[in-house]
Amino acid sequence: MPGDLSRLLNALGLIAVDTVLALAFVDQLWFRDLPCPLCILQRVAFFAAGFGLALTLVFGPRPSQYGVTILGAAVGAAISLRQMLIHIVPGSPGYGNAIFGMHLYTWAFIAFALMIIGCAILLLDDRQFARSEPWSNRLSVLPLTAFAVFFVLAIGNVISTILICGAGFCPEAPAGYLIFNDNLRLTELAQSL
Amino acid sequence: MMSLPFLLFACGLGAAWLRQRGAAMGFWVAGLVVLLVLFRVHMNDVLNIAL
Repeated sequence: MPGDLSRLLNALGLIAVDTVLALAFVDQLWFRDLPCPLCILQRVAFFAAGFGLALTLVFGPRPSQYGVTILGAAVGAAISLRQMLIHIVPGSPGYGNAIFGMHLYTWAFIAFALMIIGCAILLLDDRQFARSEPWSNRLSVLPLTAFAVFFVLAIGNVISTILICGAGFCPEAPAGYLIFNDNLRLTELAQSL
Repeated sequence: MMSLPFLLFACGLGAAWLRQRGAAMGFWVAGLVVLLVLFRVHMNDVLNIAL
């Protein structure tokens, strides 16, 4: 497999990660399904895993970057598995909305497993690492879009997490945007004085 | 605190864009360490169910 094909496959993989993270935002903003702390950590793990794909777009394929993706996905799989085990108790409704019969953390576990398998398959071909000349600094439209959307989603998650959790740790089952609730309490306090 | 790993990964992406691969990897390692610490903190979150 030539390096250019490897780069294209990494761009497609990063677009898939972008789509997952964007859908998480849709679920949060449109369906008002606020993420729990473990849900937020799974989003973080998607960034940890997608980071390796993004590095490949910029620097070309390297084995260490697949290692980055595999390690990030392994941590993400552990977090989503932990959340599945929390809700495995009979009678537990699970956390958040179910999509096609499975909760988001179950889908996340499947996505992390697919990322690990995908990287293992890509690592089977050594020819992608054999390029002698340096990679071009200019990215084509598809990798550039995937990289830019990934960066924007990271910034969006910084803002969203601050709004939900404030500066500290998140509540176990968030009922609203903490920062707005605090402002509301301050407004009520000011009105009562 | 929970937004810190997102911020570290965003900084890492910025470093990668500026072709600073070492710095990008450093930000990624820092983000992963923070993620593991936060996972440890939230690992034993209780489940509120009425049986």
